[in-house]
Amino acid sequence: MSVNLDLSFLHDTERGAASTKYRDEALQGVSNSVHASNFTAPAVEDFDAFQREVINYVKPAHGTTTLGFIFEHGIVIAVDSRASQGPYISSQTVKKVIEINPFLLGTMAGGAADCQFWQRNLGIQCRLHELENGKRITVRAASKLLANTLYSYKGRGLSMGTMIAGWDLNGPGLYYVDSEGTRLKGQRFSVGSGSLFAYGVLDQGYRWDLSVKEACELGRRAIYHATFRDAFSGGTVSVYHVGKNGWTKVTGDDVGELHFHYYPSEKIDEDSLGGLGKKEAEERAAAEATAMET
Amino acid sequence: MNQNGSAIIAMVGKDCVAIASDLRLGINQNQTTAVDYSKLHKIHDKLWLGLTGLIADQLTLAQKLRFKHDMYELRENRVMSPKVFASVVSTTLYEKRFQPYYTEPVVAGLDKDGKPYITSMDLIGADASADDFVVAGDNVESLFGVCESFYRKDLEPDELFNVIGNCLNAGVNRDCLSGWGGIVTLITKDGPITRTLKNRMD
Amino acid sequence: MSDGRYSFSLTTFSPSGELVQIKHALAAISAGATSLGIKAVDGVVLATEKKLPSTLVDASTVKKIATLTDDIGIAYSGMGPDFRVLTRMARKETQTYYRTYKESIPVSQLVRETATVMQEFTQQGGVRPFGVSLLMAGYDESGPSLYQVDPSGSYFAWKASAIGKNMVNAKTFLEKRYSDDIELEDAIHTAILTLKEGFDGQISADNIEIGIVGADRKFRILSTSEIADYLEEVE
Repeated sequence: MSVNLDLSFLHDTERGAASTKYRDEALQGVSNSVHASNFTAPAVEDFDAFQREVINYVKPAHGTTTLGFIFEHGIVIAVDSRASQGPYISSQTVKKVIEINPFLLGTMAGGAADCQFWQRNLGIQCRLHELENGKRITVRAASKLLANTLYSYKGRGLSMGTMIAGWDLNGPGLYYVDSEGTRLKGQRFSVGSGSLFAYGVLDQGYRWDLSVKEACELGRRAIYHATFRDAFSGGTVSVYHVGKNGWTKVTGDDVGELHFHYYPSEKIDEDSLGGLGKKEAEERAAAEATAMET
Repeated sequence: MNQNGSAIIAMVGKDCVAIASDLRLGINQNQTTAVDYSKLHKIHDKLWLGLTGLIADQLTLAQKLRFKHDMYELRENRVMSPKVFASVVSTTLYEKRFQPYYTEPVVAGLDKDGKPYITSMDLIGADASADDFVVAGDNVESLFGVCESFYRKDLEPDELFNVIGNCLNAGVNRDCLSGWGGIVTLITKDGPITRTLKNRMD
Repeated sequence: MSDGRYSFSLTTFSPSGELVQIKHALAAISAGATSLGIKAVDGVVLATEKKLPSTLVDASTVKKIATLTDDIGIAYSGMGPDFRVLTRMARKETQTYYRTYKESIPVSQLVRETATVMQEFTQQGGVRPFGVSLLMAGYDESGPSLYQVDPSGSYFAWKASAIGKNMVNAKTFLEKRYSDDIELEDAIHTAILTLKEGFDGQISADNIEIGIVGADRKFRILSTSEIADYLEEVE
């Protein structure tokens, strides 16, 4: 003899079965197109081989430098704007900071489409969280949502290295999340091919009590140096500041001009130029002098 | 071939030729280690060689070719014409047919009658001389694109300088691995003039 | 043998500072048929006796002047077989040069390369010097030129020169007849006259050979009928 008990409420400890039903209905429109389970795996025998082939058709924002750090007055996020396919520069004007909502920023490194799509998806999830709970999601929770999504796709070829930065009731929060499933909380991060160069400048210039102005300049300078040294980073340097009232975009500078702003009088050493003899160098100097007079 | 990064253009003008190179030297592809590294080599006053590709092979080949040129000049007591030099480059490269130097050369010069000559080659010496312009490097598509658009026949020396300079700058701006400034050598009947170019440093 | 002690090896100098084998080679050349060359303002002519050991030899098959490139020819006095070897080496050199430079070899360079080979045969062990002197004629970038190369490896550029049995008389004759503004047609006549001077027997189109290179920069060996015409002109 058995008793049939309705135990379905045990499966969802937060809400009743009814609310789950309404939520599901309400979400149908959006979740159908964005939920993990709706992406079907390709019907191929060797998935890895297929992935290796198909990755060539994906437009990756491979070369990148992004950074973020927490200091006394909030968080600074700074990024470059170059997208490359192999050695080819496919764009110099990529937006690598994704504005998830007025209090949350995500950065982009790796696959451009992957970053854009899943951070938009994260934005949806965060907004739903807000609607359901009547308060903003914490950075900790938001980054965890993204990390969980990415983890569910582990091994399927997603390529992302992102930072989630924001301000919540706990103050500033900064997390590193990548497509391998890693999620790290930290004070300073730099992600992308130029990250090592940026770290060099960042670690050297970092102090907790930096003013907002100094911090933004440090972020800009770190990214600039990365664009100089790293072949795959460049374009413009965008700097964002996240404070308790949300984020603001601080600067956006073309590196083509920024370099000469930092090094206005940089001269190329004439002696090191192949074949340019002393005589030619002198002739050139003379020619330049004449040109300046006229 | 794109370990170190490079971009070279040679162009024919009216009774003059110009050859231009970027100034970047990278290692491990992405790491920019020098921004004053010209890839142009003077053979004599009216003959220049540009080498793209692997830096180590560029240097080796440049030394070998300079040796061959100098020996020719001493032995035959005459100036080597660009055409003859191009043949020397070609045969030197083909000698290493099955273990090639990873470098693609560009030759530009004026012969003894002041006639311009430019050519480019693949890494085993198949040469393709042209009467307008040649390009080489790890981003020839971009370089070709701008050159096709901006090149005009019979440019005067200073016009040619402007065109080749702009082409180089525009071309490398679509390439991660080259750029960081440029250098142009203009060869006229009065000899070579070399000038440096400013460009974005990323 | 009077110089026996110093001739066992050609790389050994005699006390008077000579390599006697080279002297012997020159002696062999002096016994050979006379050849001569004259440089004109617009070309060069090479001429040689074609001495045959017997009237039974088919004269039309004996060649004493060879073409090396389009614009360079060569004649010799001395040992025919040695000449053949040098011709082959020189031809190979012209092709090697063309392969590296895509340009045909200048006369001066080919002369030097050939002379270098001949010099090597005066210094190496186990070889003997070549028993020939060469006359090399060509027309290149720097105009017409005539060179003589000897077994020692030494070479000179000449306005006109002669080698072989009758060289002394021929040179004297040429010295008298040569002028700096001589033209190719005149030079051909002078060449024939010079050969005729010391000719043993009756000169004919069959027993001399003539090679010319003119402003068209094509070296060619004259046919017997062409030679016959020239012979008529000088008579």
